[in-house]
Amino acid sequence: MNEDVILEAKGICKSFSGVSVLWQVDFSVRKGEVHALMGENGAGKSTLIKILTGVYTKDSGSIFWDGKKVAINSYKDCQKLGMACIYQELSVILPLTVAQNVFLGREPKRLGLIDHKRMNEMTQELIDQYGFPLEPEALVSNLGIGQRQLVEILKGLSCDSRLLIMDEPTASLSGKEAESLFSIIDTLREKGVSVIYISHRLEEVYKLSDRLTVLRDGKNAAVLNHDEIEPKKVIQTMIGKVVDESAGSSKEMRKNTNEVVLEVQDLSDGTGLFHHVSFQAHKGEILGLGGLIGSGRTELVRAIYGIDRYREGAIFLNGQKLKPSPKTSIQAGFGFVPEDRRGQGFIPLLSINRNTALTNYDRIKKNGLAVSDKDELKLCQEAIERMDIRPADPQKQVGLMSGGNQQKVVLGKWLMRDLKVLIVDEPTAGIDVGAKDEIYGILERLAKNGIVVILVSSDLQELLRVSHRILVMRKGAIIQEFDSGVVTQSMILEAASGLMGKEKAV
Amino acid sequence: MKQTRIRRLISLGMLCALAALFSCMSRYYLNPDNLLEIVRDASVAGIIGVGVTYVILTSGIDLSTGSCMALVGMTMANIYRYTLLPIWMMLLIGILVGLAAGLFNGLVVAKLHLPEFIATLATMGIFRALTYAIAIRDAGGVITSQAMTYSSFVKWGGAVGKVHYVSIAFIVIVILGQLVLKKTRFGTNLYAVGANKKAAELSGINIVRTRIMAYMTVGFCAAVGAIFTTARLQSTTALLGNGFEFDPIAAAVVGGVSLSGGYGDVVGTFIGALFMSALDNGVLKLQMNTAYQYVIKGIIIILVVMFDAWYNTWMEKLAQERGRKEAVKA
Repeated sequence: MNEDVILEAKGICKSFSGVSVLWQVDFSVRKGEVHALMGENGAGKSTLIKILTGVYTKDSGSIFWDGKKVAINSYKDCQKLGMACIYQELSVILPLTVAQNVFLGREPKRLGLIDHKRMNEMTQELIDQYGFPLEPEALVSNLGIGQRQLVEILKGLSCDSRLLIMDEPTASLSGKEAESLFSIIDTLREKGVSVIYISHRLEEVYKLSDRLTVLRDGKNAAVLNHDEIEPKKVIQTMIGKVVDESAGSSKEMRKNTNEVVLEVQDLSDGTGLFHHVSFQAHKGEILGLGGLIGSGRTELVRAIYGIDRYREGAIFLNGQKLKPSPKTSIQAGFGFVPEDRRGQGFIPLLSINRNTALTNYDRIKKNGLAVSDKDELKLCQEAIERMDIRPADPQKQVGLMSGGNQQKVVLGKWLMRDLKVLIVDEPTAGIDVGAKDEIYGILERLAKNGIVVILVSSDLQELLRVSHRILVMRKGAIIQEFDSGVVTQSMILEAASGLMGKEKAV
Repeated sequence: MKQTRIRRLISLGMLCALAALFSCMSRYYLNPDNLLEIVRDASVAGIIGVGVTYVILTSGIDLSTGSCMALVGMTMANIYRYTLLPIWMMLLIGILVGLAAGLFNGLVVAKLHLPEFIATLATMGIFRALTYAIAIRDAGGVITSQAMTYSSFVKWGGAVGKVHYVSIAFIVIVILGQLVLKKTRFGTNLYAVGANKKAAELSGINIVRTRIMAYMTVGFCAAVGAIFTTARLQSTTALLGNGFEFDPIAAAVVGGVSLSGGYGDVVGTFIGALFMSALDNGVLKLQMNTAYQYVIKGIIIILVVMFDAWYNTWMEKLAQERGRKEAVKA
């Protein structure tokens, strides 16, 4: 085995309830290299990391650390070896100082009490060694996110870690904060610390990594050396199809010249999740919203629907300005199918009957104060028929149905209304292929009937197949519109990754 | 440092403002005897508040403190009445009962994973009911109060010079409590568990043990509170400790201990306890209807909790802005 290799995983397999998530994956990290791990959502990156850090157990395969075969059954095992994971959701303790965080659980003691002086000195030594812009006695709650991340990195280094795993470390950093993280990563590399770097942001990966492993559908797609890393090639490897050769990888976009139904003007949330977003949507149009996870699409559509507030800008429906509240939106003709289906889309413990009634109580007859059961049932049966919901039993508890039928219930409760705009956020996540087609059919039918459909999707094939026109978001802004000509998956991914050269500074 | 230091100034400011307000309305308010009285009256709630601070720091709550006091008091009354054990044994057993009650709370919360609010609501009932079960009854079977007049016990209800023993105990426990909080691993762990359980676990902190120890601290403090209260009353009843689930929590909250865990300290609770006592004292001095005491306290708690929620978000926003600016500089 190569002596340079610090961590090597061979033939890793993992499946969840019969579905294979990783299949014969090989992965190796050399000493003092930054190794990027890439792949589309669901390619198996986080599963691999969870196996390496002992959160999941692998079904088969072996892991070698410094040439020796090791068993990693818990995060502690992985820490003992000298690996540390810098988590996406930061795991610092805000009310404590930098030094207290770094030495949490391992504080130096004198006469039974914590020796704060020594702890601060030890922390200062570490800080000096790596040149971090931190002070040992500063409270972490007073630090920005970027600095908090450094505290976590410092904590990892203080345990003599030789390998740091960074999962989307720049996801919540500003441009400048990210820059300073990159220079820190360079320092780490010089000191011989290896880094596994997971990111959706291609340009960072090109800049930082010495090598790059691409996963696709749970299998090794490629391992590239630094000089082989080329944006278009990486994107093609991730998507796995040579552009324009298979169905669904490209489509002709078209402008819709019908009257404008929905107009969003200069919408900003004030914190940068989305900013200065403007677009129009026309009658009978399916408008796709593409972009990487965290690019602000979900936040934007939630604000358009009125459930989250926006600071600036305005939304017009048929020329009328909308007040931001779900209630007025519903009355005005909006429907909203949220990303988190189980958590926000329907009430799992209630029947189809009650779920479809939820958005329609204004249309169901009342007998005095009580809702008319007969009317409720009639409405539900109509939804079941129109959506082809199975089982066609109004009393069936929605939580017990299949994902596809659950989504049809969610759609059904909106379609019973006189809709003008339907927003769907990742409508087919976790739904089997047959039901996906049905849902696409429903969306297309709605558009034919003149409804505006706004589709947020991370599935590029789906986005291309269903949309008439596509807007791509990046870092909270719309940076690209595809409204004519042939568009391919890689064009969308390049735009979303900031490779189209049109990016505005944040 | 800033965030906690500003919050400390705010609770101190509230205390001073209250004292200033009452001293304008009553010229007896600021005289030394009355100030000592305020400290004395703050003491029992304040002592229990030290333990409650620990529990709230772990993002827990303890509603059973009043009942725990009653159980400790009644246990001691039984020993006093039916045994020949020396006073120090009676006190020791009282403390052990408090610790046992805390251990029970801790086990239910940390081992059985019950929500703290429900768990301690249940034990509040359990401890009170146990108190009634062992309560002293007269010949007709009616529960009576038990006098406890042994002089070496009763003296703890008194004072050295003008300073009451209970006030001294209060201050000693506050100093010890703050020391443990700031200078030991247990103290650091309380913050870690309250602010970020997952991270604490990843750092190898024993969360179950930390939480149990926090509840046992409350039990200990409640027992100490019960000893001083019964010594001063020279008796105990099954109703002992009524209201002492509310006041310690109120003291902690006013003193800046965040109900969502992780922020605050014992000195803050000390100031909060003084504030509550100063408020009660003022209401009495002005001969206002004492029924309004709890109305005022309740409103103050609502305002303080609202303020803290706003304050903490605001501070977080400032920190992020500062972070971004510093990154630009670097």
